[in-house]
Amino acid sequence: MPTGDRLRRLVGRRGTHPAQRRIGRFGLRARITAGFAFGALVLSLLITSITYFTTSSSIVAQDKRSLELQALANATSLYESVYARGPEIVLPNVIGLSDELRSPTSYSLIYVDSLRAWFGSSPFTFSMGDLPVSLRAMTLHGTSAEQMFSFHGTPHFAVGIALPLGAYYFGVFSLSQATDTLHVLLASLIAAAVVTTLLGAALGRWAAGRTLRPLRDVSQAASSIASGMLDTRLETVGARDLASLTLSFNRMADRLQQRIERDARFTSDVSHELRSPLTTLATSLSVIESRRDELPERAQRALDLLGAEVRRFQRMVRDLLEISRFDARSADFAAESVEVGDLLRHAFAPAGHEPVPVRIDPADDHRELLVDKRRIERIFGNLIENADRYAGGVTQVTVETGDHFVRVFVDDSGPGIPPADRDRVFERFARGAGTAGSRGAGAGTGLGLALAQEHVRLHGGRVWATDSPSGGARFIVELPISLPAPGDGDGGDDPLAKTTGAGR
Amino acid sequence: MASHILIVEDDERIRASMGLALEDEGYDVVEAGSGEEALERFAQSLAFEPLDLVIIDIMLPGMDGFECCREVRRQSVVPIIMVTARTDTHDIVAGLEAGADDYVTKPFEPKELAARIRALLRRARSTEGGPSTLTFGDLEIMPEAGVVRLAGDEVHLTRTEFLLLCELASNHGKVLSREQLLERVWSYDYFGDGRLVDVHVRRLRTKVEPDPANPRYVLTVRGLGYKLAP
Repeated sequence: MPTGDRLRRLVGRRGTHPAQRRIGRFGLRARITAGFAFGALVLSLLITSITYFTTSSSIVAQDKRSLELQALANATSLYESVYARGPEIVLPNVIGLSDELRSPTSYSLIYVDSLRAWFGSSPFTFSMGDLPVSLRAMTLHGTSAEQMFSFHGTPHFAVGIALPLGAYYFGVFSLSQATDTLHVLLASLIAAAVVTTLLGAALGRWAAGRTLRPLRDVSQAASSIASGMLDTRLETVGARDLASLTLSFNRMADRLQQRIERDARFTSDVSHELRSPLTTLATSLSVIESRRDELPERAQRALDLLGAEVRRFQRMVRDLLEISRFDARSADFAAESVEVGDLLRHAFAPAGHEPVPVRIDPADDHRELLVDKRRIERIFGNLIENADRYAGGVTQVTVETGDHFVRVFVDDSGPGIPPADRDRVFERFARGAGTAGSRGAGAGTGLGLALAQEHVRLHGGRVWATDSPSGGARFIVELPISLPAPGDGDGGDDPLAKTTGAGR
Repeated sequence: MASHILIVEDDERIRASMGLALEDEGYDVVEAGSGEEALERFAQSLAFEPLDLVIIDIMLPGMDGFECCREVRRQSVVPIIMVTARTDTHDIVAGLEAGADDYVTKPFEPKELAARIRALLRRARSTEGGPSTLTFGDLEIMPEAGVVRLAGDEVHLTRTEFLLLCELASNHGKVLSREQLLERVWSYDYFGDGRLVDVHVRRLRTKVEPDPANPRYVLTVRGLGYKLAP
């Protein structure tokens, strides 16, 4: 089985190969997608913050400028109103004035030195104590000033202007409109950043898919080769960077296929070459055997040894040829629909062997089974031979049927097969564990059970070994029941649907 | 009188050993090392002592076994056993299509070959009993005389084809499974090769059916076997 071994070594077993365990949790595609998304996020955050800060500072500066102007206008009108009536500031003039300066988003305060009193626009929601201390101090010292400050949690802008003749004007303006604008701006910038990030992720996913498609093709081709479709090749279309990968992959597949096919062909060729001398040997032997009585006793014994070995040799070549057809996948399947009872009774009565009784429920006897009769004969013939050789013969054959399968239990009363060897017995040239190495008279070819397994597999069934309830070993052959498709009229050459196809 | 058997085999040693073995069985053996030589021997034998059976190896240098088989079949209805190297459907069906009655695969058991020869020779001699003429529409079968007529014209059938037709005719209307036909016509057991029956039925149809693609007489019963329409 060099081909099978080599193939397995090359491709590894699915899911258990150490290389497969080292692969990280995230795929290449996920990583590329994440990279794109992260890039988009960073970029959009950068743009968002730059936009936000430049816009906000320009809006605030603009607001300040217009508020300064307004404060100045207020102060001018105050000045004109107050001093139009004379050089003295009198109380009634001032009280009326602060009301004139009222507006929903601003407050005005007036301090008059001579009166030592504060006047404010009513309603009196803003008092002198609410003014920033430093601004008040600076203005009262005669220097006009302005300052941003927070009042009731919203930003306000205060302007203090010293008027001639010991009067001071303080204008306080709410900046809530500007901040509202900035909030809306910030919200839309964040939304834009989120959208940009998502778009980046989508782009990354798409790009990753495109970039990794050739890799995916390679991976699919490799697993298809591993599953036995040796003629799988990659298409040579695609990007130029990938041409060399495609080329070397295909070259590797060529070499692999050649090698596997050469190995399979070698067995077949050797067996073919052995057939002609074997035919001469067997035929000449039969001529001598028909004159056995004329030979001296010692020559008779030698002749018997020769005869046994030639026949074993012949069986071995036949088995090797058969198994090489499985390896070369050229095993054909001559399907016929037969009744289970008939088939098994014939299979358990091979030529030159005492028939083994088959226990089958009469209700199951006529169930139809689609099989290759010759292969079924070989399956059970080999099981009988195996039991004869290692376990003193088959003791019981029982048939059990389900909706979709037929199970045949072949029991013997030998020493049984230890659980560790139950798979190994189906390997080529494996010998019974208890009798390892001892090859008695009429030893087998070492391929019987391996071939039986191949034949069963070709039928889509399985075979395995277990313990017989009566001691000894039990071989179980499970064959699927699949009735041929309904007839498509008369006129066909064969009475039965005949399928031919490569195995496994 | 001993039966005459022609062995066509290019491997000299196989040919010699087969000759020895068959002579032991009581046959007169004629040997040929190539297809061309075989046809020469065959022509000579027609002159004085006709051959009873021909064994042809498919793998021959020069004229191959299939061609040799077809040529012999063209001249005679003698039973032919072909020796193939492979059990593949292709080779066996091709050999049977070329006119072989049966086949053995190398390396064969000498006993197996002897059994196949005996079955063919025994068959060639025994077709006695039963009614003298069976008629199905335009098809007339005379088992004892060994004659088949279609619309009055004699049809030339090989022994195997003839026996197959007789077997179906004497059970007309009944379905015969491939196993039953293999057993009765070829003396095979249950595990005989169903392709023997299929190919011979196909050949029989080309001779007795007015339209072999739509048979009137030899009918297929899908999943069961064949029958002759009454």
